[in-house]
Amino acid sequence: MPPRPRPVDPPTEVIPRVEDDYDDYDDEYYDDEPAKDELPPESFGRKAVRGFGEALITMGLVVLLFVVYEVYVTDLLSAGKQEDATAALDSEWSSNVVTPPPADPNRQSKLNLIEGKAFAKMYIPVFGNDWKFSVVEGTTDKHLEIGPGHYKDTAQPGEAGNFSIAGHRVGKGAPFNDLDLLESCNSIVVQTQTQWFVYRVLPMSSEVSGWASNPKSKQAACAGVAPLSTTLGDAYAKTVGQEIVAPTQGEVIAPIPHQVGATVPADKQARLLTLTTCHPRFSDKQRLIVHAIETKSYPVADGFVPPEMTEA
Amino acid sequence: MYGWIWRHLPGPLYLRIAEAVVLVVGIVALLMFVVFPWAEPLLPFNNVTTE
Repeated sequence: MPPRPRPVDPPTEVIPRVEDDYDDYDDEYYDDEPAKDELPPESFGRKAVRGFGEALITMGLVVLLFVVYEVYVTDLLSAGKQEDATAALDSEWSSNVVTPPPADPNRQSKLNLIEGKAFAKMYIPVFGNDWKFSVVEGTTDKHLEIGPGHYKDTAQPGEAGNFSIAGHRVGKGAPFNDLDLLESCNSIVVQTQTQWFVYRVLPMSSEVSGWASNPKSKQAACAGVAPLSTTLGDAYAKTVGQEIVAPTQGEVIAPIPHQVGATVPADKQARLLTLTTCHPRFSDKQRLIVHAIETKSYPVADGFVPPEMTEA
Repeated sequence: MYGWIWRHLPGPLYLRIAEAVVLVVGIVALLMFVVFPWAEPLLPFNNVTTE
C-alpha cells in the first residue's frame, strides 16, 4: 500500500500584535482618577451631604447604645444596689433581738419603715427559686432602682388593707418582668423579720363566674382563694387577679381597690397584696395590676421555710 | 466629621488608633453614666406606679 498523503497544513496567518496602548487612550474615566497622594477637591455640597449622613449614623448608634443601657446596664447598676439593700437588711435582722411573734399570727407590731431602706423579702416560687427581691420603702425612681418599692401609706405586710408594691418591668433588675404570667392561686411569699406571709393571686375576671367548677378551687393549696365578691361582698367586686388600668387609676392601691371613698373598718377589710408595673412592656401607656390575698402566715424560725416556697 | 477627627489626631498610626479608642470609650462612658441617666426619666416607658 502506498503511504497516505499527509494533509496539507493551512498557511500560517499572521495576526498583528495587539499594542497595549492604555496610556494613549484619551479616556475621561481614567483621567478622572486622582493621583494617590492627593484628595479630590471637596465641594461644599459633598461635605454637607457627608456630614449629614455621618450625623444620622451617629444618632442611630446613640439610640442603639441607649437600648443597651436600658436593658442591660441598668440591670447591672440595680443588681449592685439590690445586693447592698439585702445585705443591710440581713445584718439588721441578724443583729436585732427578735421579739417572738404575737400569739395571733395575723397581728404584729408595726414595722418601722424608712424610705429607701429594705424591710421585707419577696419571693414568687413559680418564677423559680432564684426570684427573690428585697422590698424597699417608697416608690420614687431612686427607690425603684434598688428593687420593688412599697407605696407609702398603704398597709404593711400582713395588715388589713392593701399592701402595695411597684416594680420595674424592663431594666433596673426588671423584678416584675413576668407579672403578666401569674395565674390565679400562684403564691407570692413575703418575709419580714418575724413572719412569713403567703399571698395568693385572686381569680382572674374570666374565672370569677365559674370559680366553683374550676379545678383550682378544689385544691387544698388554694384554700382561701375565691372571688372576693362572693366572700366579702360587692365592695370587692372589682378586685380580681389581674387588671390593666390607666396610669391615673390610683384607686387600685386603695385599701379596698376601686373604693376610694369607702370607710370600712380595718377589721372588715381583706388583707390584700397589690403589685403594679408598666404595661405593655417597653411602654408606660397603662399599668398592669395583680391583686392577691393573704391565705397563710407563719412565724419565722430557724431552718423553717414555708411549704409554698417549693411550689413551682 | 469622622474623617476630620482622624486627620487631626496627632502621632503615628498606632498612636492614632489608641487615641481613637480612648475617644470612643470616653464618649460611651459619658453617655452611659451622665446623659442616659439624665434622659431616662424624661422618656415615656418606664413609669410603673399609679398616681
